[in-house]
Amino acid sequence: MESLFLQQIANGLIIGSIYCLIAIGLTMIFGVMNLSNFAHGDFSMLGAYFAIYTTAYLSGWCGWIGSMVVAAIGVGIIGYFIERFMFRPLKDRPTDIDVIMLSIGLFIILENGAQLLFGATPQMVVDPFQSESVGLFFFRTSYIRVFSFILAILIIIALQIFLTKTKVGVGIRAAAQNVKASMLMGINVNYIYSLTFIIGSALAGLGGVLYGTIFAVFPTMGAMPTLKAFAITIMGGMGSIRGAIVGGFILGVAETLGGNYISMQYKNSIGFIILILVLMTIPNGLFGRGRNNE
Amino acid sequence: MLCGVILFCGSQLFAGNNPIKVGFIGPFTGPTAFNGGEMKKGAILAVDEINSKGGVFGREIEVVWGDTESKPAEGVAVVKKLITRDKVLVVGGGYHSSVNIATSDACARERTPLVVAVAISPTITERGLDYVYRTSPNSPQFLNGACNWLENVRKPKTVAFLMENTDYGRDGERVYSALADKIGAKALAHLYFEIGDTDFTTQLSKLKNLQPEITFCIGSTTEQALIQKQSKELGYVSQWIGAGGHFTEAFFKMLGTTSAYCMGVSLEPTLAINDPVVADFVKKYEAAFDGARPGIFSGQAYDNMMVIIDAIKRAGEPTGKLKEDRARINKALKSTSIKLTQGPIKFDKTGQVVTVFPYVVQTQIADGKPQLVIVYPSEKAAGAYQKPMPWDQRKF
Repeated sequence: MESLFLQQIANGLIIGSIYCLIAIGLTMIFGVMNLSNFAHGDFSMLGAYFAIYTTAYLSGWCGWIGSMVVAAIGVGIIGYFIERFMFRPLKDRPTDIDVIMLSIGLFIILENGAQLLFGATPQMVVDPFQSESVGLFFFRTSYIRVFSFILAILIIIALQIFLTKTKVGVGIRAAAQNVKASMLMGINVNYIYSLTFIIGSALAGLGGVLYGTIFAVFPTMGAMPTLKAFAITIMGGMGSIRGAIVGGFILGVAETLGGNYISMQYKNSIGFIILILVLMTIPNGLFGRGRNNE
Repeated sequence: MLCGVILFCGSQLFAGNNPIKVGFIGPFTGPTAFNGGEMKKGAILAVDEINSKGGVFGREIEVVWGDTESKPAEGVAVVKKLITRDKVLVVGGGYHSSVNIATSDACARERTPLVVAVAISPTITERGLDYVYRTSPNSPQFLNGACNWLENVRKPKTVAFLMENTDYGRDGERVYSALADKIGAKALAHLYFEIGDTDFTTQLSKLKNLQPEITFCIGSTTEQALIQKQSKELGYVSQWIGAGGHFTEAFFKMLGTTSAYCMGVSLEPTLAINDPVVADFVKKYEAAFDGARPGIFSGQAYDNMMVIIDAIKRAGEPTGKLKEDRARINKALKSTSIKLTQGPIKFDKTGQVVTVFPYVVQTQIADGKPQLVIVYPSEKAAGAYQKPMPWDQRKF
């Protein structure tokens, strides 16, 4: 028995898991570095193009798994250089506007650069399951979506373990709580910044491969995920990883249920309506803690 | 402004006689320059064909190209230059609807015939301007190709709409909606998506629950490809009918055999069509342009130029008195009746061609590769219609 309601819930949770992956990187970077990166979705786009070129040389499963690795490392390295040479020099500016403008500029440059390098024609990362369909309990979906969902959950769990059980992870969390106090405790904040930006970029890259396999790869593919990732992080509380996870799933499910039962035309607005409602009632977001860095 | 004058064939063939000048506009530079180039090739083929047979009244046809750069203002400027400075008798070509709405006003005012080749907005001819013609179908006529098939052959009881939320999608929805009412098919759902959307599982799950026989879908390539892919993932089977985006090179490349059974309307000149005029055109085109395949715009521009030359012939030899010559050609255009690659060409009172019916095409899989097969009208059909199979029973 398949039910439309449960089918839509499942559709929403699966999409939500990919939103989470992209939003976690964004919220980590914001939480630790207080940096709003509007080019975050374009890191996903870069990850997806890494996958396109990897799968061109390696076919089947090898190519797909390989492309995840290449995308994470490749986008991580690009992230390192962008943080080190573009964002870091602006770190001590009195306002955020320089950093925001830089990230918006980066967003435009990456999109246009991708158009120039890869062309505007949409492509797809080869799906190792060939879009094969699968029936699960009360709904139907594809193997790749189930697989991506599980993978996203595993990545999120691994990240949680890293942040709570390792010394570096604790350092990142300390920096997120209070930069000055963590410096006094002997934490190398610049190192933490680099690492956070690399991890955040790599997660966006991984999200991009999943996104590009389930959907399609084209130079402007990063714009919508960036917007949604911002909605999710603001809804969940800027800087809160738990908030990004919960927010991602809420957005995914709200979109599919709202689209199905309210209006398909306003599917994309539903997330933002929820965002406004959350901000009106809980200004710091669901799991936000306000700005206590100062 | 980029304007070039190209003289065809050796001048000794037409020694001593003034050439007959025809203007031809199109987006030869800018974002749609590729399509403009396709048009140019079609027009060149037509003019070369006539000139190599001695021209018209022993005089050479000379084309003066006008680049509209896809901009209405540039289009008007270039048309005025063609009419006043180059003193052309007729202006052909076209492309963007917005450009041609502007140029048609300018030409009607200057009392110089404008024969539009490519541009689909009904507005261009709907206003009934004298001196304005169009040799290709407007948007409702284009979609009507599929309507005839649905009405006479497929006869669905239920339909649904999944449309791009723009004028492009909504205009198409209006045409197909009217048809559904006419043939008594029940519209189960009107769903929309935005340009740039990537996840359509919400819409498709809803459609799957409703099970319409036909799903109309108008949108661009990326969205169309994702919709087909996600239909497979969700196991949704319906006869898809779309336009444009279903049949681009990128669509087939992204989807492979997943593109099977999609239908739409087309005027693409191809050897897969059962029509000697088209076959002849395709062969001549390939021979003239190093084996390049003609696209829809090459065929439409060829027809356009042929209609213009035919009218010049029937109007009698130009005297050099521009105003009178143009008026006589305008009169001749009204009684045009000629069979070309798109089919017979005849104009109604507004100057719109009413005898061209785009054919219905379906993607079918042969040797593991998707191919476009004409399935309607039956006299042009190159293959039989295939009913979409459930996904798990597709053997390719």
